[in-house]
Amino acid sequence: MTYRSQRVAYPYFVVALLLFGLQLVLGLWLAFNYWFTLPQAIVDVFPFSTARAMHTNLLVLWLLLGFMGATYYAIPEETQSELAWPRLALAQLVLLAGTGVVALVGFLFGWTQGRPLLEIPRPLDVLVVVGALMFLANVGATVLRARRFTATQGSLLAGLTFLALLYLVGIPFYRNLAVDWYYWWWVVHLWVEGAWELVAAALVAFLIIQLTGIERRVVEKWLYVELGLFLFTGIVGTGHHYYWLGAPRYWLVAGGVFSALEPLPIALMLVDTWRHMRASRRPLRPRLTWVFLFGMAVLHFVGAGAFGFAHTLPQINYYTHGSQVTVSHGHLAFYGAYVLVNLSFFYFAVPRLRRFPTDEYRSALGHWGFWIASVSLLGMSLAFAVAGVLQAYLERVQGQAFMVAQAPMRFWMLAAFLHGLGVLVGGSMIIGHLLTLKPAPAA
Amino acid sequence: MTERSAKLVFWAGTLVSLVLFLAMTADTHRHFAALTHADRLDERVVAGKRAFELRNCNDCHTILGFGAYYAPDLTRAYARVGEETIRSRLERPAQVLASSWRKMPQQHLSAPEVEAIAAFLRWVSEIDNHDWPPQDSEARWRASTRRLLATAALSPGAALVQQGGCLGCHALGESGGRVGPRLEWIGARRDAPWIAAYLADPQRFTPGTSMPALGDVPAAQREVIAEFLVSLAPIRGREP
Repeated sequence: MTYRSQRVAYPYFVVALLLFGLQLVLGLWLAFNYWFTLPQAIVDVFPFSTARAMHTNLLVLWLLLGFMGATYYAIPEETQSELAWPRLALAQLVLLAGTGVVALVGFLFGWTQGRPLLEIPRPLDVLVVVGALMFLANVGATVLRARRFTATQGSLLAGLTFLALLYLVGIPFYRNLAVDWYYWWWVVHLWVEGAWELVAAALVAFLIIQLTGIERRVVEKWLYVELGLFLFTGIVGTGHHYYWLGAPRYWLVAGGVFSALEPLPIALMLVDTWRHMRASRRPLRPRLTWVFLFGMAVLHFVGAGAFGFAHTLPQINYYTHGSQVTVSHGHLAFYGAYVLVNLSFFYFAVPRLRRFPTDEYRSALGHWGFWIASVSLLGMSLAFAVAGVLQAYLERVQGQAFMVAQAPMRFWMLAAFLHGLGVLVGGSMIIGHLLTLKPAPAA
Repeated sequence: MTERSAKLVFWAGTLVSLVLFLAMTADTHRHFAALTHADRLDERVVAGKRAFELRNCNDCHTILGFGAYYAPDLTRAYARVGEETIRSRLERPAQVLASSWRKMPQQHLSAPEVEAIAAFLRWVSEIDNHDWPPQDSEARWRASTRRLLATAALSPGAALVQQGGCLGCHALGESGGRVGPRLEWIGARRDAPWIAAYLADPQRFTPGTSMPALGDVPAAQREVIAEFLVSLAPIRGREP
């Protein structure tokens, strides 16, 4: 840490980690609902739908707070100047976290916009937009005052601006359900396969420049290529969600071709990370930070690239669309890409924010946490995948009724739940470890 | 690769994709009205969509395949189970789904809301979305039933169904109403003894249903009808 104002990042990370823990608990509850028959009295008071709204909104909220905190850490280093308004950054955290908590409590009482992932009611959307504007103004002013522009910060800023603009598309009420879903995907797909990829790629580039000492020019050259491929495949790739919503048939071709190419930039990111690690001018230390960073590159490719590709072609998607196959892909992709990129950044930044004598920290608990969470999450995604393939065959090919087909899936949802316990244990270890990080004893 | 060509990849990739995407979006809007039958999208349908969102239905059910995967897809629910079944599930989920091992929360909907959601689901069921989902493909139902009826002209069950006025409320193949569930759908879910028992006294299974009891019809004929319904869906699974 070189600049005082970078310290605002720390409370962002703390809030993000606490929300992450709550997200895991709710996820476990959802998995429980899938194999255990809850009595009507509980279902009437706390239905699956409410828990799911909380689970997904917590995910989005904590990942975004993590990205924002990471940006507040990275921007001063990139611009070589203090943040424009550090106090505004803290006010923004209070506003966004407060809005999130109000929204979560509101869900419990049935206050919702009622559209998956965009359940935050419209009056609260205004507060979210205010928070996003505070963020963009703060970062924008810092960059403009410093007059120092880098590709890394450009990618970060472009991703975050793009992200904020797309959120606006999700706010209005659409009369036509097909049009509604058409623009819903502008938020959801263009976030995770567009804007968020820009942010993640920028944060990875930042970490690599900081940790390896490789020349910025080299890292950023490949960043340009990654971003070009992400956006080339990802923008028209939105079409893989337009196959069955009442849009013209050409989306089957456009969505199929472009989304089949979507694994390429992720593969390039994995290769780039590997090459930069080999070319590193410094030892790859601390080891746990690199475990997270490289684990991110690998699981990002497996979850988002490979699992996504597996059901993106229209011929397959006709049978797997809206089944547990989607759930399998969603969990591994979010974990591999965005959970791990956030956690990697936290592991990089926390020792610096807390001014450890060296950047080394005691890491045993974190190592256990990483492996328990990652292996459990992989197992959970595989359990969802088996359930999904069963569902695709029994319900979609054979034509069994939904609940009939769910019966043989029940065992696999139990398997997913048991792996979910592992994710909760591993995740709690990571959260506890990061919140109580201690410097390594002097050698 | 030089820095210059890396930047070129970035700008060319981004702009080509963006322009193509926006052009296709503009064109898609020219087709939405016809593909979704926007002329039938009246205020009642919109009220139904609002009620559907207000109750957060989409965080258990999928519709057009989007949403949560906890409960059945609703894209073709109207065509599959018919209006009366939809109403009864909306009004009394705890009773109607009492035997299910996954419960639907009681929604406390007003009569106009039930009306509106039914209208919404009816409009959705007519969206032309390349015949998704496969399990509700009307084209597949019609084709299999057409084949069956062509070869089974002498099937006494088929004759009883056609003469008995069942198609006034139920869909079968190309014809029939949308008050009750599609007959093929019933055959897919239930076995013959269950259907025969249901025919004798529907009120015992679904209190308040408008399905008339066939208690006066000889038991042998009820069994023949039940056998016919089951034969409509030979490979499909059944609820125990």
